[in-house]
Amino acid sequence: MSKHSALNTFGRSGNPAFSKNFDNTGSVPLTERMTLDGAVNKTAILLALCFGGAFIGWNIPALTIPCLIIGTILAFVTIFRSPSKAGATAPFYAAFEGVALGGITVFAEMQYPGIGIQAIGLTFGILASLLFCYKSGIIKPTENFRLMLFSATMGIFILYLVSFIMSFFGSGIGFIHSNGLFGIGFSLFVVGIAALNLVLDFDFIEEGAEQGLPKYMEWYGAFSLMVTLVWLYIEILRLLMKLRSR
Amino acid sequence: MNTIFFGLLTVLSLFIFMNLGKVKASKKQMDRDDRIKWGRNRRSNLGKNRRSSEIIEGEAKEVDEKSKD
Repeated sequence: MSKHSALNTFGRSGNPAFSKNFDNTGSVPLTERMTLDGAVNKTAILLALCFGGAFIGWNIPALTIPCLIIGTILAFVTIFRSPSKAGATAPFYAAFEGVALGGITVFAEMQYPGIGIQAIGLTFGILASLLFCYKSGIIKPTENFRLMLFSATMGIFILYLVSFIMSFFGSGIGFIHSNGLFGIGFSLFVVGIAALNLVLDFDFIEEGAEQGLPKYMEWYGAFSLMVTLVWLYIEILRLLMKLRSR
Repeated sequence: MNTIFFGLLTVLSLFIFMNLGKVKASKKQMDRDDRIKWGRNRRSNLGKNRRSSEIIEGEAKEVDEKSKD
C-alpha cells in the first residue's frame, strides 16, 4: 500500500487539464494513438499560431483586451469540455492569446525597449533547459512534487483573483505589483512555479504517449504546454519590468 | 546586441525543443516506482482497494457440529 493512501482512494484533480481520459486506452488502434512526435508537432503548430497572433496584436494593440478575454474563455472551454474537442479549440486559444501577448508586449516595449525579446528568449530558454532536465532524469516529478506545485499554483491563482477583485474597490495587494525586493522576490517565486509546471506537462505527454492514449490527447498535451508557456512568458515579462523600473 | 543574443537563444531553444521533445525520456526517468500516475482515479482505486481487502469471495456454508467431526 502506498503511503499516499488517501490519494490512492480518492484520486486528485491536480491541473484540471490533466485529470481526464487516461483510462480508455484499451481499444485504441495503433495508428490512432498519441505519440511524442505528434504532441511536439502540434505544440509547434500552436506556437506558430501564437506568433502569428502576436504579429497582429503588435500592430493593432487595441485588440489586446478582447482577445485576452476570448482566449481565457477558450482555455476554460478546452479544460472543462471533453478533451476530444481540444483539436478544435486549442488553435483558436493559441491565436487569440498570441494577439493578446503581442499587445501586452507592445505596451512593455514602449516603456522598456528590448524587453520583449528578452522575455521570449528567457521563456524558450527555460523550456529547452527544463526539457533536457526532464528527459535526462535530473528532475524527477513525483506525486509530492505534483501536490506541491498544485498547491502553489492554486495559491497564486487565488492571490491574483483577490487582488483583481480588490482593484475594483480602489484597493489591492500592493506587494505583488511593487518593484521592491519583496515584489521581485514574489515574481521570482511565481516564475519558478510556472517553470516547474512545464515539467508536469512533459510528464503528462510522455506518459500519454507511453500508455497509447487516443490521438486527440496530442492536442490536449500541446494545449496544456501552451497554457503554461503563456503564463511563464507573462510572469517573466512582469519580472523584467520590475527589474528595469528600479 | 540584446536582440541578437536573445533572438539566437529563442531559435536555439526552439530547435532543442523540436528535436529533444521527440526523444523518449531516459530509463532513469521512466523506470521509477514513484512516478506520477496520471490515470489514477477514484473508480479504479476503489477497485484496487477491494481486491486487496480481507473479504474472501465464495459460497457461504453452514457449519454444524456433525460436519465438524
